[in-house]
Amino acid sequence: MKKIILLSILALTTLFAQVDEKVEIPYMPYEIKMGKGFDAIEANCLMCHSFGYIINQGPQSRQFWHEKVVKMIHHFKAPISKEDEITTTNYLFEHYGNGKEK
Amino acid sequence: MKRRDFLKASLVASAAVVGTSVSAGVTGQPIDSRKVSKIAFPEKKPLITYSDRPPLLETPREVFTRGITPNDEFFVRWHMPEIPTFIDVETYRIKINGLVENELSISIAELKRDYEQVEVTSVLQCGGNSRSAYSPVAGGVQWGSGAMGCAKWKGVRLKDILNRAGVKKDAHWIGFNGSETAAYYETPNFVREMHMDELDDYVILAYEMNGEDLPYLNGFPVRLVIPGHYSDSWVKMLSNITVTKEYQKLFFMDVAYRVPDNSCECETPEEKYKTTKPITMMNVKSVIGYPTNNTVVAHNSHVVVRGVAFDDGHGIRDVLISTDGGKNWKQALLKDADRYAFREFRFAYKPTTYGKVTIMAKAINRLGAEQPFAQDVKWNHGGYKYNGIDSVTIEVI
Repeated sequence: MKKIILLSILALTTLFAQVDEKVEIPYMPYEIKMGKGFDAIEANCLMCHSFGYIINQGPQSRQFWHEKVVKMIHHFKAPISKEDEITTTNYLFEHYGNGKEK
Repeated sequence: MKRRDFLKASLVASAAVVGTSVSAGVTGQPIDSRKVSKIAFPEKKPLITYSDRPPLLETPREVFTRGITPNDEFFVRWHMPEIPTFIDVETYRIKINGLVENELSISIAELKRDYEQVEVTSVLQCGGNSRSAYSPVAGGVQWGSGAMGCAKWKGVRLKDILNRAGVKKDAHWIGFNGSETAAYYETPNFVREMHMDELDDYVILAYEMNGEDLPYLNGFPVRLVIPGHYSDSWVKMLSNITVTKEYQKLFFMDVAYRVPDNSCECETPEEKYKTTKPITMMNVKSVIGYPTNNTVVAHNSHVVVRGVAFDDGHGIRDVLISTDGGKNWKQALLKDADRYAFREFRFAYKPTTYGKVTIMAKAINRLGAEQPFAQDVKWNHGGYKYNGIDSVTIEVI
């Protein structure tokens, strides 16, 4: 059985933006699946975007997820190693895959 | 029909016809079942929330009964993880440089004092609004129909600012840079470019939205407003305007926000079209605000169907309503609206049958362009420019 953890659960205080003060963007708790390769996801993806971006795509093919990882490396210049490119793709396909290679 | 059911149905249909696995892209109604989050973001009511970093918030359907979208319900879309959490209005400057006679550094106070103040009511819509209608899934935020809104924007004409700076003769392009930043230095900035020819009196630097300061998440203290264009060009927290002779190669211009460069702007998942073009101008579209899916109404009671329709500024000529799944259409009443604004429509309907009834709205603009049925909208890899006929299914008891 897959374990699901809630990340970033923070007590939220008042969120009225007072532009003469710092605004506070709340943290959302995302139910992200745990498993092999999750460390690489945490290290490589969270720098730029929340898990919401992953979950929102719905179940996808291995090719879809690989293209996403490559897009982050190629266009957004994320410093993802060749090894992590494979690890993150495997994780995404295993937990957010649709069973199809293409 | 729920999207999943639709997909299932279309998979079965295509398998029956082709005899192989699903090939061409198919299109249905965008996802409409998402609930607003329990967590409200600064200056916002709780909205449909896809991400906190960067913030991605969608306006729920029921807000689209009105021609003006309230600031606290207006959708939010940022691209980069870092947005400034504090802006000092006293020291904030908008810099104008490049091919100009006099470089300018304009404070918000000067913007409000030294230039003619103008207003424009205009729709702001993400190019990927309704992306969840496309299957196979087009990568990107799987928006329902609420990555759009209409507001009255107040500010200063970009033209007036450039005239004061004095644009040099061989200047052709205007680049806009906002204040959001990436996690990595090498990541391309969110910079947009506009050709000088596209500049008209409606393009403004707005500091006010619906009579209030811009909400922080909608680009405080000043954003670009380009009526008729999709919102990827409406740079938020505008910090820099650079005039150049040559077009600068930019990720957000040259890779993202593009559609196939053919007349249908379409392709298939297997065979992507080789050349692309920017999404630029909006197509004709309408959304039903009331009733919403699964609304229960009494037989023979009085229902007023309400919604909004818009295009790229030619103006909406007609909105037609069908209560029989698209076979017969009747004219809705339209409220007057500025050319770039939401045009409100309403239609009195008395349900005379029992059970499920599907209500559809179809807008037609002054050029005669009309919305296609959802299933006739052709697939594109970015999931842009969906404008299928909107549909809600209610229950009559």
